[in-house]
Amino acid sequence: MTIRYAVAGMTTLAISMLSLSAHADAQLDTAIKNPANWAAQAGDYANQRYSELKQINASNVSKLQATWTLSTGVLRGHEGSPLVVGDTMYIHSPFPNKVVAVNLKDQTYKWKYEPKQDAAVVPVMCCDTVNRGVAYGDGKIFLQQADTTLVALDAETGKVVWSVKNGDPKLGETNTNAPHVFKDKVITGISGGEFGVRGRLTAYDIKTGKEVWKGYSVGPDSEMLIDPAKTMTWTDGKMAPVGKDSSVKTWQGDQWKIGGGTTWGWYSYDPKLNLVYYGSGNPSTWNPKQRPGDNKWSMSIWARDLDTGKVKWVYQMTPHDEWDFDGINEMILADIPVKGQTVPALVHFDRNGFGYTMNRDTGALLVAEKYDPAVNWATHVDMKTGRPEVVAQYSTEHNGEDTNSKGICPAALGSKDQQPATFDRKSKLFLVPTNHVCMDYEPFRVEYTAGQPYVGATLSMFPAPNSHGGMGNFIAWDAGTGKIVWSKPEKFSVWSGALTTAGDVAFYGTLEGYLKAVNPKDGKELWKFKVPSGVIGNVFTYEYSGKQYVGVYSGIGGWAGIGMAAGLEKPQEGLGAVGGYKDLAKYTDLGGTLFVFALPSN
Amino acid sequence: MKPLYKLLLAATVLAFSTTASVSAQDANADAPYKVVDGNKVDPGTLKGWKTWRSLACERCHGAQQEGLVGPSLVDSLKRLTKTDFQTTVMNGRIEKGMPNFGGSQQMQDNWQNLYAYLKGRSDGKIQPGHLQPMDGQQ
Repeated sequence: MTIRYAVAGMTTLAISMLSLSAHADAQLDTAIKNPANWAAQAGDYANQRYSELKQINASNVSKLQATWTLSTGVLRGHEGSPLVVGDTMYIHSPFPNKVVAVNLKDQTYKWKYEPKQDAAVVPVMCCDTVNRGVAYGDGKIFLQQADTTLVALDAETGKVVWSVKNGDPKLGETNTNAPHVFKDKVITGISGGEFGVRGRLTAYDIKTGKEVWKGYSVGPDSEMLIDPAKTMTWTDGKMAPVGKDSSVKTWQGDQWKIGGGTTWGWYSYDPKLNLVYYGSGNPSTWNPKQRPGDNKWSMSIWARDLDTGKVKWVYQMTPHDEWDFDGINEMILADIPVKGQTVPALVHFDRNGFGYTMNRDTGALLVAEKYDPAVNWATHVDMKTGRPEVVAQYSTEHNGEDTNSKGICPAALGSKDQQPATFDRKSKLFLVPTNHVCMDYEPFRVEYTAGQPYVGATLSMFPAPNSHGGMGNFIAWDAGTGKIVWSKPEKFSVWSGALTTAGDVAFYGTLEGYLKAVNPKDGKELWKFKVPSGVIGNVFTYEYSGKQYVGVYSGIGGWAGIGMAAGLEKPQEGLGAVGGYKDLAKYTDLGGTLFVFALPSN
Repeated sequence: MKPLYKLLLAATVLAFSTTASVSAQDANADAPYKVVDGNKVDPGTLKGWKTWRSLACERCHGAQQEGLVGPSLVDSLKRLTKTDFQTTVMNGRIEKGMPNFGGSQQMQDNWQNLYAYLKGRSDGKIQPGHLQPMDGQQ
């Protein structure tokens, strides 16, 4: 009896262990399903950034008040957002990457974690030391440190459970991305496209931190986990296998070894298809003359099997980049009508200014249209070849080294950068924080030295000419037709992640430091509040003790905060009248505060 | 004593800076750079500008050396000695975010040229932006 019981017990144990490894992370799944939590950086696996909460709604949002605030103690750019699971909020900071667990009951600290990192990593992160937040799953909090260490902390105690090195800062490899938990894996990428880093996505075992697979963006098929016969890409109006050596044959010699294609954006996951989606960044260097060829698979959208890392399909948006249009922006998964038919879509707003709608199952290209009318570097995307039609005047390859190509739209920071968009499930519209900035771009020859900048272009940026004079728009996009539904001009780039809710309210932050609530149907402003420092963080929402809260980090920095300055000081641009960095300095200064808002109690 | 000393020092500095600006305008004998029309420079200074460009110094110090995350080099080059400058670029100021460029062959070969270029920017003699060789040949 006893023995039989023991055997039965062991069988149960074995079965439950099996199911543990084969199924989704139960804790995260459960947490995500309850809208009271904000258990992942986008609130879900699909990057929709939508909440079912509706206590705060279009008719009462004007009464929103700051309820509590908290200093992170760091005065640098604050991207990403906290997580909320049950009665605990997990807060992160830019370098040195502190993590704090806060009791929602009384805002006391449960635990604090501050890693010891070599300060030598800061210079290779030049010019800001952002971190886009932590991930939750399997009773742990995952932090991707700047020095590339991925660490798992016990969510209850903050004690280190495991830690693994994901790269080498001496080669210019750093991390700014949030790790993502999908099923039994922690997924992370790498930064350093301006240091000749070879990009890859890596999956670690959630229990042990052991590497499960690593898929490079460039190089031999085996290292990209590409099967030449099975990995598909859009070819002549249909999907076809990529064929042998699809990457290496698009590079001169072994340039792919320092070829870039880094992976520092937001990843998404479709549990039904078991596919992970993300984008790869710019090829290194920024001087196109130095790297002939399409430079595959930089600037591409990827679909990988979560368990094996094998590539189901891949699509290159900007072959042979000449403008630093990183393809890393988030892939939003939503089932939407496209040309009268509901499709399992992937929607992506690329740095290059085109909004792409793909079939996320097959990889077929459905829609590719400009989501900012200022975009001028290409006339359109040829829907048969999938390639952009580049305008010679704005081709830095065509104009050549040491020639300043002027008036290219968008600027290198793209019509949109990493700041994530949101999908409003009710109106089926995508609300997108955008940049309305153009540039002059002068490429020049550079030599590669490990760990040293490998940029190769001088840029200056300015507000899109002949427009409203501002440097941003907050827009609504119909991804089925590829059309802008409405566009709300902003004085500065909108560098904050947006949120939509079932209360018919959309939220986003601005560089001068407003948190704004707008109507998702027409963009009409419903409420705004001035926080001390510009917002580059993502708006999030949660419910605690029956009350809905909306929060955001205040803390300017990142490329928007400092990169803007570079071009806008140039007197010949005549920007004094229309704005620019000097204007930004009239509104805001550095900061590092979390703001939490709610409706008044009665 | 003290006020007199200060006055004397100020007078000396004034005299020196007047002399310096005159000489820079004329033959520029003491300056580590030579410049004509604000944007045509000697071969060494041209290499210095190219070093500035290829090591992407503007990402922290600004396209016109006016300062962004890093300090304004227009100001710094008025204070730093040539030795200070060498130490800073070679060893960095890691805690402040300044990288060490000692590992860069280009920097090892060109730090004096870079110093010359930045000195010219700091003195207001060299214009921001693209530079040309003095002899007009590219």
